[in-house]
Amino acid sequence: MKKVTDTLVHRRILGLLLIVLVITLFSSGRLAYLQLWKNDFFQTKALEQRVQKIPVEGLRGNIYDRNGIPLAISVSAHTVYAIPAEVDDPEGTARKLASILQMDYDFILQRLQKRTATQWIKKKISDQEAHEIIALNSPGIGVVPTSTRVYPYGSVVPQVLGFVGIDNQGLEGLELYYDQFLRGTPGQTVFERDAHGRVIEDGVRGYQPGQRGGDLVLTIDYFIQRMAEEEVRRACYETGSRLGLIVVTDPKTGEILATAIHPSFDVEDFSSYAPENRKNIAVTDTYEPGSTFKAVTAAIALNEGVATLRSGFFDPGYIRVSGWNVRCWNRGGHGSQSFVETMQNSCNPYYAKLAIDLGDQRYYNGLTSFNLGYKLGVDFPGEMGGTLRSPGPAIPLVTWANIGFGQGLTVTPLQLIAAFGAIANEGILSVPHYVKELVTEEGSFPPDIPEQRQVIGKEAADTTRYVLRSAIEHGSGKRAEVPGYSVAGKTGTAQLVEGGRYSHSKMVTSFAGFAPSDDPQMAGLLVLWEPQGAFYGGIIASPVFARLAAKILPYLGVERKGKVESGLRQVVVPDVGGLGIGEATRVLQGVQFRVEVVGEGSRIIGQVPAPLAEVDEGTMVYIYTDVDFIPTTSDLPNPYGA
Amino acid sequence: MRIPRRYWRNLDWPLILAVLALIAIGLVVIYSASHSQLVAVGLSPFYYVQRQLFALGLGLILAIVIVAIDYRAWKRWTNLLYLANLLLLGGVLVIGKTVFGSQRWVRLGPLSIQPSELAKIALVLVLAKFLEKKENAQSLKGTGQAFLLTLIPMGLILLQPDLGTAAIFVGLFFTMWFVAEANPKHLLITGLTMVIGALGAITLSIKGWVKIIKPYQLTRLLVFLDPYADRNGAGWNIIQSMIAIGSGGFLGKGILNGTQSSLHFLPANHTDFVFSVVAEEFGFLGSLVVLALYAFVIWRGLRIAALSKDFYGTLLATGATSIFFFHLIINVGMTLGIMPVTGLPLPFITAGGSTMLTSLVAVAIVLNVGLRRMKIMF
Repeated sequence: MKKVTDTLVHRRILGLLLIVLVITLFSSGRLAYLQLWKNDFFQTKALEQRVQKIPVEGLRGNIYDRNGIPLAISVSAHTVYAIPAEVDDPEGTARKLASILQMDYDFILQRLQKRTATQWIKKKISDQEAHEIIALNSPGIGVVPTSTRVYPYGSVVPQVLGFVGIDNQGLEGLELYYDQFLRGTPGQTVFERDAHGRVIEDGVRGYQPGQRGGDLVLTIDYFIQRMAEEEVRRACYETGSRLGLIVVTDPKTGEILATAIHPSFDVEDFSSYAPENRKNIAVTDTYEPGSTFKAVTAAIALNEGVATLRSGFFDPGYIRVSGWNVRCWNRGGHGSQSFVETMQNSCNPYYAKLAIDLGDQRYYNGLTSFNLGYKLGVDFPGEMGGTLRSPGPAIPLVTWANIGFGQGLTVTPLQLIAAFGAIANEGILSVPHYVKELVTEEGSFPPDIPEQRQVIGKEAADTTRYVLRSAIEHGSGKRAEVPGYSVAGKTGTAQLVEGGRYSHSKMVTSFAGFAPSDDPQMAGLLVLWEPQGAFYGGIIASPVFARLAAKILPYLGVERKGKVESGLRQVVVPDVGGLGIGEATRVLQGVQFRVEVVGEGSRIIGQVPAPLAEVDEGTMVYIYTDVDFIPTTSDLPNPYGA
Repeated sequence: MRIPRRYWRNLDWPLILAVLALIAIGLVVIYSASHSQLVAVGLSPFYYVQRQLFALGLGLILAIVIVAIDYRAWKRWTNLLYLANLLLLGGVLVIGKTVFGSQRWVRLGPLSIQPSELAKIALVLVLAKFLEKKENAQSLKGTGQAFLLTLIPMGLILLQPDLGTAAIFVGLFFTMWFVAEANPKHLLITGLTMVIGALGAITLSIKGWVKIIKPYQLTRLLVFLDPYADRNGAGWNIIQSMIAIGSGGFLGKGILNGTQSSLHFLPANHTDFVFSVVAEEFGFLGSLVVLALYAFVIWRGLRIAALSKDFYGTLLATGATSIFFFHLIINVGMTLGIMPVTGLPLPFITAGGSTMLTSLVAVAIVLNVGLRRMKIMF
């Protein structure tokens, strides 16, 4: 190299070179950091910002009744979306869409002009609309498959089924409780877009269909449900009740066969009803059970040996408990009674005495073993517990005395019917539940509900069953008798609590029972809120139960016993399954039955009373038909052709 | 004009080859970055490549002319060039074309030229002529005069406003003053004063007490510290550039395959952010090659400065070389997210006629000095 005479200048140039070197190395280090160390991070970032994913929902599972009758099913529908950046003529596009979809032009235009990657225009459109939109071939407008809920048999058990929202998410009822199960696994359609949101023609594309969710088979029996709905509606009209409830269960399994609530609501138009009127009050509300509760007190007392069938009681019209007079509904008193007669007479002082004889702790333990006042673990969202305070010095004895005959505590209707079920089923309590099977592609599974358990001894349960039978045979529930069947049960009437006080005019009347008493196949609870006029359970609630049991028992195939006192000729119901509607009607009318056709289909799926049952001549026979289904698969191709 | 044979031998061919390599890389990357956008607007995919080649041709002719004339002869024209440039800079403020909020271009027939590019060359010439007398660099009066020579064009450029080029002026001044044996104490004090002044101006502008720096400039100056603070605004460019570079990985996504670039996530991909495209498509390896080529060019330039037979030549070569250097660090630093966003091009690679011409002229100056050094090295 040339000898540099000016060494300071040379040194300074060398210094500059050093600076350049350091900065170049530093930049290389930064490059290495970004490109090597953080490469994955930035790769992901780059991918994320150019790959657009539109979720495709999995079809929601169906809900069937125990016979396989579809109550709520999903049929495919479509959702229109826009990629605003791709829409070249927002006004024209909005005009066309508005006319196809019957929507507001300004609303659509506004969505088309949003500066988002994708924008929903309308969800759940019909096949027809989807076809028309695809035919438009309008840039930036696409259709993805979605689904919509359909109720082939109309609004059956809407309070139990619940309903889904716009994104097919469960909002209430079983749709909510089993949402994760019913909901399918979402798939997606993927495409690549540039910085302006335009889809790259030859870019990455993919379509992964959603997976279908599981199906629910309910314990609900469509036919029994219909019978219960009819009876509760009739009972409300006849008694002027504000609200009515019928729950029917199988006492041996806890399966809920029907939950009928009047007034009901239209599940397809649920948003027009107040949330208050959409509740399944059998689970989410509590009430004061009144005299029906005496069955529970009797069962506990018998189980604990505090009383036996030979016990007796003299009722002067009241009983004195720690300075308070607990009065009988019969002011004059029932006088001298046997144990069975106290139930027939529904004698309040005796059941107050039983509670006191048991003692607060023992009585409380008995009640809680039935889960009374505490949640049962029903497979339904929003289950209530009730009010039952644990014993202690703060709770006077008179409180327990009142609870003895069903006052001063609240339970859910399901808790009470579960207790009656345990009495009917040899002391074994089955937690009531709505789902019989969860069906997936891998198979079907039972629901996750608490196991059956013995809550009182078999002997105590059987004695109580006998006492409840006598209450119908000879007591206040006489009107619940069904010819040919032995009904056991108890009526109840309680004053409605309003603002912390018992109302003098508003009543809650109920009947709880099961049949046949020697081998119970059904348990039922009827509750009527605020009946007008006559309100005693024995007068207004018992006949409803009788009518209901008279329909359900033959339907369940329970044979009649003993002589039937109706005096009418007994006729065997012909089997009309497989016949046309007209022919079936003619056959039934030919043997003097009245006929009512339920449903608008052409195929008979069931009849009540069941074929070959012996019933009074002139009985109403219900023929249930299928419904014309909306096709569950769409003929629309996947819009992305992948 | 006849160039003696030994001049051809004395030309710094490695430097020329490195520059041509950078230009070739530039042509490829410009095509890759711009073809899809050009086709989309109905132009030839080679539109920018053709313009770049045209500028290259023009620049080569200019360079040959410059190399042919002994640099010592330029001193006579320096003052005139400097004054003419001041006029152009003044003119651009009055009649210039506004692009992206700055007035940087004047139309000259069919060409739009950027006087601020020419101004760098003019400044190098005028400072070299003035600082050739080392006592000017060492005396307070001389330094003040040199600073004033820098400040006048710089002020006009700041008015455009063009912060990046103004920063290069500061760099040029310091580099040439440094090489002219400036007193280290003076260097330190001046340097500190300028840093404090700049920080002060920024601080006062943030507080809103004075409006030296416009709000958009302030955002661009500071957004590199946290690009996500304004991710859809000023931060967007930096974020997208870093994604482009980072996602390139070791070997890159391959030519024409840069998603950041071809899907338009990366703005100004054939101009200011061209280095990001290099890094995305050619990866870490490709970026290193480009950085190494620049380092090589700068080394050759400084070497020629050291070998110059007179101090004027040393200053010329130093100044011309440092133009590349400052462009490089400001531009690449910006794409790497370690420098504020300024609209400075990357010499030889960025698509743009003015920057291509200036860069080739600067190379020609360096070559000229190298050509006329005292002895033959080999």
